[in-house]
Amino acid sequence: MTTSINETAAQKTAVPSSIRITDDDLYRHSTQYRIWSFTPERLTQIRTEINARAGAKVEEELKNFFASHLDLSPEEKEAVKSKAVPVTTHEELLLVNYFARMILSFAGKMNLPTEVAATAVAFFRRFFLSNSILDFPPKEVFHTSLFFACKTENYFIGVESFAKKAKTTTEAILKHEFKLLESLNFTLMNHHPYKALHGFFLDIQNVLSSRVDMSYMGQVYTNCKRSISDALLTDAVYFYTPPQITLAILLMEDEALMMRYMQLKFGLQVEDEEAKVQSTQDADSQSPITINAAKLLEVIKSCKSVIENKIIPAKDDAVKITAKMHYCQKPMAVVQRMKRQREASSTAATPLPGEADAKKQKT
Amino acid sequence: MASSSQFKQLEKLGNGTYATVYKGLNKTTGVYVALKEVKLDSEEGTPSTAVREISLMKELKHENIVRLYDVIHTENKLTLVFEFMDNDLKKYMDSRIVGNTPYGFEMSLVKYFEWQLLQGVAFCHENRILHRDLKPQNLLINNKGQLKLGDFGLARAFGIPVNTFSSEVVTLWYRAPDVLMGSRTYSTSIDIWSCGCILAEMITGRPLFPGTNDEEQLKLIFETMGTSSERTWPGISNLPKYNAQQPQHLPKDLGALLQTQTREKMDLALVDLLYGLLQLNPDRRLSAKQALNHPWFAEYYQH
Repeated sequence: MTTSINETAAQKTAVPSSIRITDDDLYRHSTQYRIWSFTPERLTQIRTEINARAGAKVEEELKNFFASHLDLSPEEKEAVKSKAVPVTTHEELLLVNYFARMILSFAGKMNLPTEVAATAVAFFRRFFLSNSILDFPPKEVFHTSLFFACKTENYFIGVESFAKKAKTTTEAILKHEFKLLESLNFTLMNHHPYKALHGFFLDIQNVLSSRVDMSYMGQVYTNCKRSISDALLTDAVYFYTPPQITLAILLMEDEALMMRYMQLKFGLQVEDEEAKVQSTQDADSQSPITINAAKLLEVIKSCKSVIENKIIPAKDDAVKITAKMHYCQKPMAVVQRMKRQREASSTAATPLPGEADAKKQKT
Repeated sequence: MASSSQFKQLEKLGNGTYATVYKGLNKTTGVYVALKEVKLDSEEGTPSTAVREISLMKELKHENIVRLYDVIHTENKLTLVFEFMDNDLKKYMDSRIVGNTPYGFEMSLVKYFEWQLLQGVAFCHENRILHRDLKPQNLLINNKGQLKLGDFGLARAFGIPVNTFSSEVVTLWYRAPDVLMGSRTYSTSIDIWSCGCILAEMITGRPLFPGTNDEEQLKLIFETMGTSSERTWPGISNLPKYNAQQPQHLPKDLGALLQTQTREKMDLALVDLLYGLLQLNPDRRLSAKQALNHPWFAEYYQH
């Protein structure tokens, strides 16, 4: 099956399938790299296209709506036109992000393993790289993603007990399960930065041996683990590999420690002459890894800025976007709302109408 | 995405671990496929075994691993569309029984199959995936002599921690002694043991250790390979089903034993490889990569 998201820029740098030497090569064989890594331009393009497609569909439906409701007053027509506006690409992104964040906190409440939560977030966000929120309200895919992540990550939980904990129905959870599987292009294997963090954590202690305090390192580890979960909500996951993300997070956590590690591990050149001599010697003796340290640092820094550039959608935004989606799907609701308002104002008891409506769209 | 109408369902090929497999014909391309049908009547949605198999097969693109082409969803079933293979190793071996006497393969074919088997297994292990159910029925072959690993229904990805696996995996005859004794911390070595059993079986045409239950299975293994102790296998006495009172056996000469069951010449390199694969202590078993570099395969890698 070929969908547009298959043709990533990443894929064009094809790797021969025979000889594999490094873990990097292994990663390049993974579907996470082949199918779910993009250039920023490609990612923007995908999102724009999905939004445009869904937007066009809404316009079409509105046209049909007006054609079949010729009895609407000009005032009502105007109201529908102003309320039932397709969401923008940015609004789609905001709402998906809002729910992705909720998956993390919800998984925490349910005591699900970190990897399950991370996979659920990945599934959920990828789903909206082939579907618009106008076609599938995020609310309907939220539990599906989490439950399906449990299956994928071998964390057994029955759908009944999951539904009970999630305060929803088994039907609601399973309704879009195949659509999810299909949207994911049947690629379900995820590689999260947590394992890389564990590896670097051990290696830093090894490389910097006597120069780090163990209890401090424990603190760094805990903080980084939390930051990784945050980073999973950013587009860094589409542009960078799990170890790159991990290094960026370590850099955010303790720049001095990280720079030191990179000097010793990868022979990163520094201003200080003495340290320079020291570092190249250590690098020679410690590992045969030939990595362009300056380039690596550059990549990590750019990754860091993507992670820091995270979107934290406010609840108000989510409510507004959800209302927009609602009116797009049911333009008649705008008319009914106007009627209600007219009746309410005629009886002079005016509750704040906007608010009442927003409450109904509770996310 | 493909639709079910694209395929014509032909004869039934067999039952997998959780599904029925049919031969199918892709009507547009004229290519044969294997259609693995998974019933969705369970209230849990897509069965997790299917989810697991799809997840793993999508990552594993290798010439010695059967390819998953597509997944089709119809009302009450999920169909996994696999590459079609003419036969499996079990049926192929059975077809060579003359009267009541099983015959192994010519040594060149044994070597070619074992080489491909280890290539597939090495690729899985490199990708941190354990097959866990290697047996002749799951090794698919075609008329070109290619061999591919199939049925990943019991396979799983491994990472940290690995000590939570169920011990109810791998068909008895190909099950490693550590797993039989209840070890739950097994890793890639579980598949290597199976590769050793399969190698011996291809030589003689008979299963090496055809036990009927766990105890008998262990007994058969120890009678041939000798019993282990803390000295040769540190940690063995901590395994849940370790029996300190069991009768002690000295290892038999495996080469001589197999030689009585084949007309082909059991050369020293081959016997050495068998011992490398069939080490009782899992830590001492060869890795798939090491096995591929074994002198017995020299003709394949010395080019």
